[in-house]
Amino acid sequence: MTVLVDLILGVVTSIGGFVEVGSISTAAQAGSEFGFQLLWAIAAATIMVAMLAEMSGRLAAVSRRSIAAAVRERFGIHFQYIPLGAELLIDVLLLAAEVGGAAIAVKLLTGIGFQWWILPIGLLVWLVLWCCGFSLIEYGLGLLGLVTLSFVVSAWWLKPDVSDLARALVPTLPQHDHVRYAFLAVSILGATVSPYLLNFYSSGTIEEQMTEKELWVNRVTAYMGMCFGGVVSMGVLVTSAMVLGPRHITVDSYEQAALMFVPVFHQWAVVLFALSLGIGCFGAAVEVTLNAGYAFSQALGWPWGANKPRRDATRFVAAFTLVLALGVAIAVVGFDPLRLTMIALALTVVIMPLVVLPFLVLMNDPTYVRRHTNGPIGNGLLAVITVLAALLAIVVIPLEVMGG
Amino acid sequence: MDLVRDLLDNKVVDRNGREIGRVDSIVLEIRDGAPPRIAALEVGPAVLASRISPVFGRIVSGSEHVFGVDEGRPLRIQVGSILDITDHVKVDVAAGQTCAAAVERYLRRWVSRIPGAS
Repeated sequence: MTVLVDLILGVVTSIGGFVEVGSISTAAQAGSEFGFQLLWAIAAATIMVAMLAEMSGRLAAVSRRSIAAAVRERFGIHFQYIPLGAELLIDVLLLAAEVGGAAIAVKLLTGIGFQWWILPIGLLVWLVLWCCGFSLIEYGLGLLGLVTLSFVVSAWWLKPDVSDLARALVPTLPQHDHVRYAFLAVSILGATVSPYLLNFYSSGTIEEQMTEKELWVNRVTAYMGMCFGGVVSMGVLVTSAMVLGPRHITVDSYEQAALMFVPVFHQWAVVLFALSLGIGCFGAAVEVTLNAGYAFSQALGWPWGANKPRRDATRFVAAFTLVLALGVAIAVVGFDPLRLTMIALALTVVIMPLVVLPFLVLMNDPTYVRRHTNGPIGNGLLAVITVLAALLAIVVIPLEVMGG
Repeated sequence: MDLVRDLLDNKVVDRNGREIGRVDSIVLEIRDGAPPRIAALEVGPAVLASRISPVFGRIVSGSEHVFGVDEGRPLRIQVGSILDITDHVKVDVAAGQTCAAAVERYLRRWVSRIPGAS
Protein backbone atom coordinates (compact mmCIF):
# COMPACT_ATOMS: atom_id res chain seq x y z
CA MET A 1 0.00 0.00 0.00
CA THR A 2 2.79 2.41 0.97
CA VAL A 3 4.60 1.50 -2.22
CA LEU A 4 1.47 2.29 -4.22
CA VAL A 5 1.08 5.66 -2.49
CA ASP A 6 4.79 6.41 -3.12
CA LEU A 7 4.35 5.42 -6.74
CA ILE A 8 1.32 7.62 -7.30
CA LEU A 9 2.89 10.55 -5.44
CA GLY A 10 6.09 10.09 -7.42
CA VAL A 11 4.29 10.14 -10.76
CA VAL A 12 2.00 13.03 -9.81
CA THR A 13 4.87 15.18 -8.50
CA SER A 14 6.94 14.44 -11.59
CA ILE A 15 4.07 15.74 -13.71
CA GLY A 16 3.67 18.82 -11.50
CA GLY A 17 7.40 19.49 -11.51
CA PHE A 18 8.04 18.94 -15.22
CA VAL A 19 7.24 22.33 -16.67
CA GLU A 20 9.35 25.34 -15.71
CA VAL A 21 10.78 28.47 -17.27
CA GLY A 22 12.70 26.64 -20.00
CA SER A 23 9.97 24.32 -21.18
CA ILE A 24 7.31 27.04 -21.15
CA SER A 25 9.42 29.54 -23.09
CA THR A 26 10.78 27.09 -25.67
CA ALA A 27 7.44 25.36 -26.29
CA ALA A 28 5.59 28.70 -26.49
CA GLN A 29 8.11 30.06 -29.01
CA ALA A 30 8.14 26.84 -31.02
CA GLY A 31 4.33 26.78 -31.21
CA SER A 32 3.93 30.43 -32.16
CA GLU A 33 6.63 30.28 -34.87
CA PHE A 34 6.34 26.76 -36.33
CA GLY A 35 2.87 25.50 -35.36
CA PHE A 36 2.87 21.86 -34.28
CA GLN A 37 6.00 21.11 -36.30
CA LEU A 38 8.40 20.88 -33.32
CA LEU A 39 6.21 18.51 -31.31
CA TRP A 40 8.64 15.69 -32.19
CA ALA A 41 11.44 17.55 -30.38
CA ILE A 42 9.44 17.54 -27.13
CA ALA A 43 8.56 13.86 -27.60
CA ALA A 44 12.19 12.89 -28.27
CA ALA A 45 13.52 14.99 -25.37
CA THR A 46 10.90 13.52 -23.04
CA ILE A 47 11.83 9.93 -23.89
CA MET A 48 15.48 10.86 -23.40
CA VAL A 49 14.91 12.47 -20.00
CA ALA A 50 12.75 9.52 -18.89
CA MET A 51 15.56 7.09 -19.80
CA LEU A 52 18.17 9.22 -18.04
CA ALA A 53 16.00 9.69 -14.93
CA GLU A 54 15.41 5.94 -14.69
CA MET A 55 19.16 5.33 -14.98
CA SER A 56 19.99 7.99 -12.34
CA GLY A 57 17.54 6.36 -9.92
CA ARG A 58 18.91 2.89 -10.70
CA LEU A 59 22.52 4.01 -10.12
CA ALA A 60 21.57 5.58 -6.79
CA ALA A 61 19.36 2.73 -5.58
CA VAL A 62 21.95 0.04 -6.36
CA SER A 63 25.24 1.82 -5.59
CA ARG A 64 23.96 4.22 -2.87
CA ARG A 65 25.83 6.95 -4.70
CA SER A 66 24.63 10.01 -6.52
CA ILE A 67 26.04 10.78 -9.97
CA ALA A 68 28.40 13.49 -8.65
CA ALA A 69 29.81 11.13 -6.02
CA ALA A 70 30.17 8.23 -8.45
CA VAL A 71 31.85 10.38 -11.13
CA ARG A 72 34.39 11.67 -8.59
CA GLU A 73 35.22 8.12 -7.51
CA ARG A 74 35.27 6.55 -10.94
CA PHE A 75 36.97 9.31 -12.95
CA GLY A 76 38.77 11.41 -10.32
CA ILE A 77 38.87 15.15 -9.85
CA HIS A 78 40.97 15.76 -12.99
CA PHE A 79 38.05 14.70 -15.10
CA GLN A 80 35.25 15.88 -12.85
CA TYR A 81 36.12 19.51 -12.37
CA ILE A 82 35.22 20.45 -15.95
CA PRO A 83 31.70 18.91 -16.12
CA LEU A 84 31.02 19.84 -12.50
CA GLY A 85 32.13 23.43 -13.10
CA ALA A 86 30.04 23.61 -16.28
CA GLU A 87 27.04 22.14 -14.49
CA LEU A 88 27.33 24.65 -11.65
CA LEU A 89 27.67 27.51 -14.14
CA ILE A 90 24.51 26.39 -15.90
CA ASP A 91 22.79 25.90 -12.54
CA VAL A 92 23.53 29.53 -11.71
CA LEU A 93 22.27 30.82 -15.10
CA LEU A 94 19.20 28.61 -14.95
CA LEU A 95 18.53 29.69 -11.39
CA ALA A 96 18.66 33.34 -12.46
CA ALA A 97 16.21 32.52 -15.26
CA GLU A 98 13.85 30.59 -12.93
CA VAL A 99 13.86 33.33 -10.30
CA GLY A 100 13.29 35.87 -13.10
CA GLY A 101 10.41 33.76 -14.46
CA ALA A 102 8.79 33.51 -11.01
CA ALA A 103 9.23 37.29 -10.56
CA ILE A 104 7.51 37.94 -13.88
CA ALA A 105 4.65 35.69 -12.78
CA VAL A 106 4.19 37.80 -9.63
CA LYS A 107 4.38 40.91 -11.78
CA LEU A 108 1.56 39.56 -13.96
CA LEU A 109 -0.54 39.08 -10.82
CA THR A 110 0.28 42.36 -9.06
CA GLY A 111 1.31 44.80 -11.79
CA ILE A 112 4.42 45.75 -9.79
CA GLY A 113 7.73 45.57 -11.76
CA PHE A 114 9.42 42.13 -11.71
CA GLN A 115 12.78 43.48 -10.45
CA TRP A 116 11.13 44.18 -7.09
CA TRP A 117 10.21 40.52 -6.67
CA ILE A 118 13.57 38.92 -7.35
CA LEU A 119 15.07 39.35 -3.86
CA PRO A 120 11.90 38.26 -2.00
CA ILE A 121 11.62 35.19 -4.25
CA GLY A 122 15.30 34.35 -3.69
CA LEU A 123 14.71 34.62 0.04
CA LEU A 124 11.63 32.41 -0.18
CA VAL A 125 13.63 29.76 -2.09
CA TRP A 126 16.22 29.82 0.69
CA LEU A 127 13.55 29.60 3.41
CA VAL A 128 11.95 26.56 1.76
CA LEU A 129 15.37 24.89 1.61
CA TRP A 130 16.15 25.85 5.19
CA CYS A 131 12.86 24.71 6.71
CA CYS A 132 11.68 21.72 4.68
CA GLY A 133 12.80 18.12 4.42
CA PHE A 134 13.18 16.41 1.06
CA SER A 135 9.70 14.87 0.85
CA LEU A 136 7.96 18.11 1.68
CA ILE A 137 10.01 19.96 -0.96
CA GLU A 138 9.45 17.30 -3.59
CA TYR A 139 5.80 16.48 -2.98
CA GLY A 140 4.70 19.97 -1.90
CA LEU A 141 6.10 21.71 -4.96
CA GLY A 142 5.05 18.87 -7.26
CA LEU A 143 1.44 18.97 -6.07
CA LEU A 144 1.28 22.78 -6.33
CA GLY A 145 2.79 22.39 -9.81
CA LEU A 146 -0.30 20.50 -10.95
CA VAL A 147 -1.70 23.94 -11.81
CA THR A 148 0.46 23.61 -14.95
CA LEU A 149 -2.08 21.03 -16.14
CA SER A 150 -4.03 24.10 -17.28
CA PHE A 151 -1.80 23.95 -20.41
CA VAL A 152 -3.18 20.47 -21.13
CA VAL A 153 -6.74 21.63 -20.43
CA SER A 154 -6.38 24.58 -22.80
CA ALA A 155 -4.86 22.43 -25.55
CA TRP A 156 -7.72 19.93 -25.13
CA TRP A 157 -10.31 22.71 -25.22
CA LEU A 158 -8.92 24.13 -28.45
CA LYS A 159 -9.61 20.76 -30.16
CA PRO A 160 -6.47 20.35 -32.29
CA ASP A 161 -6.69 18.00 -35.26
CA VAL A 162 -5.35 14.68 -33.92
CA SER A 163 -3.91 13.63 -37.29
CA ASP A 164 -1.95 16.92 -37.45
CA LEU A 165 -0.57 16.23 -33.99
CA ALA A 166 0.38 12.66 -34.95
CA ARG A 167 2.13 13.89 -38.13
CA ALA A 168 4.12 16.41 -36.07
CA LEU A 169 5.62 13.58 -34.02
CA VAL A 170 7.73 12.70 -37.07
CA PRO A 171 10.62 15.16 -37.59
CA THR A 172 10.33 17.27 -40.72
CA LEU A 173 12.27 20.24 -42.09
CA PRO A 174 10.57 23.65 -41.96
CA GLN A 175 9.63 25.81 -44.95
CA HIS A 176 11.37 28.85 -43.46
CA ASP A 177 13.99 29.87 -40.86
CA HIS A 178 16.01 26.66 -40.72
CA VAL A 179 18.47 28.07 -38.20
CA ARG A 180 15.74 29.25 -35.84
CA TYR A 181 14.01 25.86 -36.15
CA ALA A 182 17.21 23.99 -35.26
CA PHE A 183 17.94 26.42 -32.43
CA LEU A 184 14.48 25.86 -30.95
CA ALA A 185 14.83 22.08 -31.29
CA VAL A 186 18.15 22.26 -29.43
CA SER A 187 16.67 24.55 -26.75
CA ILE A 188 13.71 22.22 -26.22
CA LEU A 189 16.19 19.39 -25.61
CA GLY A 190 18.15 21.62 -23.20
CA ALA A 191 14.98 22.63 -21.38
CA THR A 192 13.85 19.05 -20.92
CA VAL A 193 17.14 17.29 -20.18
CA SER A 194 18.71 19.68 -17.67
CA PRO A 195 21.95 18.32 -16.16
CA TYR A 196 20.73 19.34 -12.70
CA LEU A 197 17.78 17.00 -13.08
CA LEU A 198 19.97 13.88 -13.28
CA ASN A 199 22.00 14.51 -10.14
CA PHE A 200 18.89 15.78 -8.39
CA TYR A 201 17.02 12.60 -9.27
CA SER A 202 19.84 10.33 -8.05
CA SER A 203 20.24 12.36 -4.85
CA GLY A 204 16.47 12.21 -4.28
CA THR A 205 16.57 8.42 -4.61
CA ILE A 206 19.15 8.33 -1.80
CA GLU A 207 17.21 10.84 0.32
CA GLU A 208 14.14 8.63 0.01
CA GLN A 209 16.23 5.55 0.86
CA MET A 210 15.04 3.61 -2.16
CA THR A 211 16.67 0.19 -2.41
CA GLU A 212 17.51 -2.27 -5.16
CA LYS A 213 14.22 -4.09 -4.45
CA GLU A 214 12.26 -0.99 -5.45
CA LEU A 215 13.87 -0.57 -8.85
CA TRP A 216 10.54 -1.26 -10.52
CA VAL A 217 9.01 1.69 -8.60
CA ASN A 218 11.85 3.85 -9.88
CA ARG A 219 11.26 2.65 -13.45
CA VAL A 220 7.50 3.23 -13.39
CA THR A 221 7.86 6.65 -11.70
CA ALA A 222 10.54 7.83 -14.11
CA TYR A 223 8.80 6.72 -17.30
CA MET A 224 5.21 7.56 -16.35
CA GLY A 225 6.05 10.82 -14.55
CA MET A 226 8.30 12.12 -17.29
CA CYS A 227 6.05 11.03 -20.17
CA PHE A 228 2.95 12.61 -18.64
CA GLY A 229 5.10 15.66 -17.83
CA GLY A 230 6.06 15.80 -21.51
CA VAL A 231 2.35 15.98 -22.32
CA VAL A 232 2.16 19.22 -20.28
CA SER A 233 5.01 20.67 -22.37
CA MET A 234 3.16 19.58 -25.50
CA GLY A 235 0.09 21.37 -24.12
CA VAL A 236 2.09 24.61 -24.06
CA LEU A 237 3.21 24.11 -27.65
CA VAL A 238 -0.24 23.18 -28.95
CA THR A 239 -1.95 26.08 -27.14
CA SER A 240 0.65 28.51 -28.41
CA ALA A 241 0.41 27.13 -31.97
CA MET A 242 -3.38 27.41 -32.03
CA VAL A 243 -3.74 30.77 -30.28
CA LEU A 244 -0.60 32.83 -30.92
CA GLY A 245 0.48 31.40 -34.30
CA PRO A 246 -2.61 32.36 -36.36
CA ARG A 247 -2.54 35.88 -34.82
CA HIS A 248 1.16 36.28 -35.73
CA ILE A 249 2.08 36.91 -32.11
CA THR A 250 5.70 35.86 -31.49
CA VAL A 251 6.81 35.24 -27.94
CA ASP A 252 9.54 37.79 -27.15
CA SER A 253 8.39 38.19 -23.55
CA TYR A 254 6.48 36.17 -20.98
CA GLU A 255 3.72 38.77 -20.98
CA GLN A 256 3.00 37.87 -24.61
CA ALA A 257 3.05 34.17 -23.80
CA ALA A 258 0.28 34.78 -21.24
CA LEU A 259 -2.04 35.73 -24.11
CA MET A 260 -2.23 32.08 -25.18
CA PHE A 261 -4.71 31.35 -22.36
CA VAL A 262 -7.19 34.11 -23.28
CA PRO A 263 -9.49 32.18 -25.70
CA VAL A 264 -9.92 29.30 -23.23
CA PHE A 265 -9.78 30.82 -19.76
CA HIS A 266 -10.95 34.37 -20.58
CA GLN A 267 -10.68 36.61 -17.48
CA TRP A 268 -8.78 33.86 -15.63
CA ALA A 269 -6.17 33.63 -18.38
CA VAL A 270 -3.50 35.85 -16.84
CA VAL A 271 -4.00 34.47 -13.32
CA LEU A 272 -3.74 30.85 -14.48
CA PHE A 273 -0.75 31.55 -16.72
CA ALA A 274 0.99 33.46 -13.92
CA LEU A 275 0.33 30.67 -11.41
CA SER A 276 1.58 28.01 -13.84
CA LEU A 277 4.70 30.00 -14.70
CA GLY A 278 5.30 31.14 -11.12
CA ILE A 279 4.91 27.78 -9.40
CA GLY A 280 6.78 25.94 -12.18
CA CYS A 281 9.71 28.38 -11.98
CA PHE A 282 9.74 28.54 -8.19
CA GLY A 283 9.77 24.75 -7.90
CA ALA A 284 12.61 24.51 -10.41
CA ALA A 285 14.55 27.28 -8.61
CA VAL A 286 14.32 25.29 -5.36
CA GLU A 287 15.45 22.10 -7.10
CA VAL A 288 18.34 23.74 -8.98
CA THR A 289 19.59 25.38 -5.77
CA LEU A 290 19.30 22.16 -3.80
CA ASN A 291 21.10 20.26 -6.54
CA ALA A 292 24.00 22.72 -6.52
CA GLY A 293 24.38 22.02 -2.79
CA TYR A 294 24.14 18.28 -3.45
CA ALA A 295 26.67 18.23 -6.30
CA PHE A 296 29.26 20.32 -4.45
CA SER A 297 28.99 18.35 -1.22
CA GLN A 298 28.92 14.94 -2.87
CA ALA A 299 31.94 15.67 -5.07
CA LEU A 300 33.94 16.86 -2.05
CA GLY A 301 32.68 14.20 0.38
CA TRP A 302 30.92 16.58 2.78
CA PRO A 303 27.80 15.63 4.77
CA TRP A 304 24.71 16.53 2.73
CA GLY A 305 20.97 16.08 2.66
CA ALA A 306 17.75 18.05 2.92
CA ASN A 307 16.70 15.70 5.73
CA LYS A 308 19.78 16.42 7.86
CA PRO A 309 19.66 19.05 10.62
CA ARG A 310 21.18 22.10 8.97
CA ARG A 311 23.79 22.59 11.73
CA ASP A 312 25.19 19.13 10.93
CA ALA A 313 25.71 19.94 7.26
CA THR A 314 26.83 23.57 7.30
CA ARG A 315 29.06 23.31 4.21
CA PHE A 316 26.10 21.93 2.27
CA VAL A 317 24.00 24.88 3.46
CA ALA A 318 26.82 27.29 2.56
CA ALA A 319 27.16 25.76 -0.92
CA PHE A 320 23.49 26.10 -1.85
CA THR A 321 23.29 29.54 -0.26
CA LEU A 322 26.26 30.74 -2.31
CA VAL A 323 24.86 29.42 -5.59
CA LEU A 324 21.45 30.93 -4.81
CA ALA A 325 23.08 34.27 -4.02
CA LEU A 326 24.95 34.20 -7.36
CA GLY A 327 21.80 33.31 -9.30
CA VAL A 328 19.77 36.02 -7.61
CA ALA A 329 22.58 38.54 -8.19
CA ILE A 330 22.52 37.81 -11.95
CA ALA A 331 18.72 38.14 -11.98
CA VAL A 332 18.92 41.44 -10.07
CA VAL A 333 21.45 42.89 -12.52
CA GLY A 334 18.55 42.77 -14.90
CA PHE A 335 19.22 40.57 -17.87
CA ASP A 336 16.12 39.89 -19.90
CA PRO A 337 14.88 36.65 -18.26
CA LEU A 338 13.68 35.14 -21.55
CA ARG A 339 17.02 35.72 -23.27
CA LEU A 340 18.91 34.40 -20.25
CA THR A 341 16.77 31.27 -20.34
CA MET A 342 17.47 30.63 -24.00
CA ILE A 343 21.24 31.06 -23.51
CA ALA A 344 21.28 28.73 -20.49
CA LEU A 345 19.31 26.08 -22.38
CA ALA A 346 21.46 26.14 -25.49
CA LEU A 347 24.63 25.91 -23.35
CA THR A 348 23.09 22.97 -21.53
CA VAL A 349 23.04 21.00 -24.76
CA VAL A 350 26.68 21.88 -25.50
CA ILE A 351 27.88 20.44 -22.18
CA MET A 352 25.46 17.51 -22.25
CA PRO A 353 27.98 14.96 -23.63
CA LEU A 354 30.33 15.83 -20.73
CA VAL A 355 27.57 14.89 -18.31
CA VAL A 356 25.82 12.05 -20.13
CA LEU A 357 28.79 10.08 -21.55
CA PRO A 358 30.62 9.48 -18.22
CA PHE A 359 27.23 8.70 -16.70
CA LEU A 360 26.72 6.00 -19.34
CA VAL A 361 30.13 4.54 -18.45
CA LEU A 362 28.98 4.28 -14.82
CA MET A 363 25.75 2.64 -15.93
CA ASN A 364 27.78 -0.11 -17.62
CA ASP A 365 30.16 -0.69 -14.71
CA PRO A 366 29.07 -3.66 -12.55
CA THR A 367 31.09 -2.20 -9.63
CA TYR A 368 28.35 0.42 -9.39
CA VAL A 369 25.16 -1.10 -10.79
CA ARG A 370 26.01 -4.79 -10.34
CA ARG A 371 23.80 -6.85 -12.67
CA HIS A 372 21.56 -3.88 -13.50
CA THR A 373 23.78 -2.54 -16.29
CA ASN A 374 22.31 -0.72 -19.30
CA GLY A 375 21.16 -2.46 -22.45
CA PRO A 376 22.63 -1.62 -25.86
CA ILE A 377 19.58 0.40 -26.96
CA GLY A 378 19.73 2.79 -24.00
CA ASN A 379 23.49 3.22 -24.36
CA GLY A 380 23.49 3.70 -28.11
CA LEU A 381 20.48 5.96 -28.34
CA LEU A 382 21.58 8.31 -25.58
CA ALA A 383 25.21 8.50 -26.69
CA VAL A 384 24.32 9.22 -30.32
CA ILE A 385 21.56 11.78 -29.57
CA THR A 386 23.68 13.59 -26.99
CA VAL A 387 26.69 13.96 -29.27
CA LEU A 388 24.61 14.91 -32.34
CA ALA A 389 22.62 17.47 -30.35
CA ALA A 390 25.81 19.02 -28.95
CA LEU A 391 27.31 19.30 -32.45
CA LEU A 392 24.08 20.85 -33.72
CA ALA A 393 24.09 23.28 -30.77
CA ILE A 394 27.68 24.33 -31.50
CA VAL A 395 26.68 25.12 -35.08
CA VAL A 396 23.34 26.85 -34.48
CA ILE A 397 24.07 28.92 -31.35
CA PRO A 398 26.49 31.33 -33.10
CA LEU A 399 24.16 31.51 -36.12
CA GLU A 400 21.17 32.28 -33.91
CA VAL A 401 23.09 34.86 -31.87
CA MET A 402 24.36 36.57 -35.04
CA GLY A 403 20.94 36.37 -36.69
CA GLY A 404 19.11 37.48 -33.53
CA MET B 1 44.98 -2.63 -5.12
CA ASP B 2 45.23 0.12 -7.70
CA LEU B 3 45.85 3.29 -5.70
CA VAL B 4 44.30 5.70 -8.17
CA ARG B 5 41.30 3.51 -8.95
CA ASP B 6 40.59 2.06 -5.50
CA LEU B 7 41.80 4.68 -3.05
CA LEU B 8 42.24 8.15 -4.51
CA ASP B 9 39.00 10.22 -4.57
CA ASN B 10 37.10 7.65 -2.50
CA LYS B 11 34.98 8.73 0.44
CA VAL B 12 36.60 8.83 3.88
CA VAL B 13 34.42 8.20 6.93
CA ASP B 14 35.37 8.27 10.60
CA ARG B 15 35.03 5.42 13.09
CA ASN B 16 31.36 6.33 13.58
CA GLY B 17 30.59 6.39 9.86
CA ARG B 18 30.46 10.20 9.60
CA GLU B 19 31.79 11.77 6.41
CA ILE B 20 35.23 13.38 6.71
CA GLY B 21 35.77 14.10 3.03
CA ARG B 22 37.47 12.29 0.18
CA VAL B 23 41.00 10.98 -0.33
CA ASP B 24 42.26 14.14 -1.97
CA SER B 25 45.88 13.03 -2.10
CA ILE B 26 48.08 10.06 -1.19
CA VAL B 27 51.49 10.49 0.44
CA LEU B 28 54.03 7.87 -0.62
CA GLU B 29 57.23 7.04 1.21
CA ILE B 30 60.22 6.36 -1.04
CA ARG B 31 62.61 3.80 0.42
CA ASP B 32 66.11 2.78 -0.70
CA GLY B 33 66.09 -0.59 -2.37
CA ALA B 34 62.43 -1.25 -1.62
CA PRO B 35 59.20 -0.35 -3.41
CA PRO B 36 57.46 2.88 -2.31
CA ARG B 37 54.72 2.46 0.26
CA ILE B 38 51.75 4.50 1.37
CA ALA B 39 52.60 6.74 4.31
CA ALA B 40 49.36 8.68 4.66
CA LEU B 41 46.17 9.94 3.06
CA GLU B 42 45.40 13.64 2.82
CA VAL B 43 41.98 15.28 2.98
CA GLY B 44 41.45 18.96 2.28
CA PRO B 45 40.30 21.33 -0.45
CA ALA B 46 43.76 22.92 -0.85
CA VAL B 47 45.50 19.65 -1.80
CA LEU B 48 42.56 18.79 -4.03
CA ALA B 49 42.78 22.16 -5.76
CA SER B 50 46.56 21.82 -6.19
CA ARG B 51 45.95 18.56 -8.07
CA ILE B 52 43.98 20.59 -10.62
CA SER B 53 46.53 23.41 -10.74
CA PRO B 54 49.23 24.62 -8.31
CA VAL B 55 47.94 28.19 -8.64
CA PHE B 56 44.40 27.10 -7.75
CA GLY B 57 45.84 25.21 -4.77
CA ARG B 58 47.58 28.35 -3.53
CA ILE B 59 44.39 30.38 -3.94
CA VAL B 60 42.41 27.86 -1.87
CA SER B 61 45.05 27.60 0.88
CA GLY B 62 45.31 31.42 0.89
CA SER B 63 41.53 31.65 1.38
CA GLU B 64 41.73 29.13 4.25
CA HIS B 65 44.39 31.35 5.85
CA VAL B 66 42.24 34.48 5.43
CA PHE B 67 39.27 32.79 7.14
CA GLY B 68 41.50 31.40 9.87
CA VAL B 69 40.71 27.75 9.13
CA ASP B 70 44.14 26.67 7.89
CA GLU B 71 45.62 25.32 11.10
CA GLY B 72 46.79 21.76 10.68
CA ARG B 73 45.27 21.50 7.19
CA PRO B 74 45.28 19.44 5.08
CA LEU B 75 44.28 16.60 7.38
CA ARG B 76 46.92 13.88 7.16
CA ILE B 77 45.73 10.41 8.14
CA GLN B 78 48.58 7.99 8.87
CA VAL B 79 48.27 4.65 7.18
CA GLY B 80 48.06 2.92 10.58
CA SER B 81 44.77 4.70 11.25
CA ILE B 82 43.04 3.10 8.28
CA LEU B 83 40.53 0.60 9.66
CA ASP B 84 39.00 -0.72 6.47
CA ILE B 85 38.91 -0.07 2.74
CA THR B 86 35.73 -1.13 0.96
CA ASP B 87 33.86 1.20 -1.38
CA HIS B 88 34.89 3.86 1.14
CA VAL B 89 37.82 4.29 3.51
CA LYS B 90 37.09 3.97 7.23
CA VAL B 91 39.64 5.59 9.50
CA ASP B 92 40.17 5.54 13.25
CA VAL B 93 39.59 9.22 14.02
CA ALA B 94 36.57 11.30 15.08
CA ALA B 95 35.48 13.60 12.24
CA GLY B 96 34.34 16.43 14.52
CA GLN B 97 37.71 16.68 16.23
CA THR B 98 39.87 16.82 13.13
CA CYS B 99 40.96 19.89 11.21
CA ALA B 100 38.97 18.53 8.23
CA ALA B 101 35.88 19.81 10.05
CA ALA B 102 37.37 23.28 10.64
CA VAL B 103 35.19 24.89 7.96
CA GLU B 104 32.13 23.01 9.22
CA ARG B 105 32.83 24.32 12.75
CA TYR B 106 33.54 27.84 11.46
CA LEU B 107 30.24 27.93 9.55
CA ARG B 108 28.33 26.37 12.45
CA ARG B 109 28.94 29.49 14.52
CA TRP B 110 26.80 31.38 11.99
CA VAL B 111 24.37 28.69 10.96
CA SER B 112 23.46 27.76 14.57
CA ARG B 113 22.20 31.28 15.20
CA ILE B 114 19.47 30.93 12.58
CA PRO B 115 16.23 29.53 14.05
CA GLY B 116 15.56 25.97 12.97
CA ALA B 117 19.20 24.99 12.51
CA SER B 118 18.88 21.87 14.63
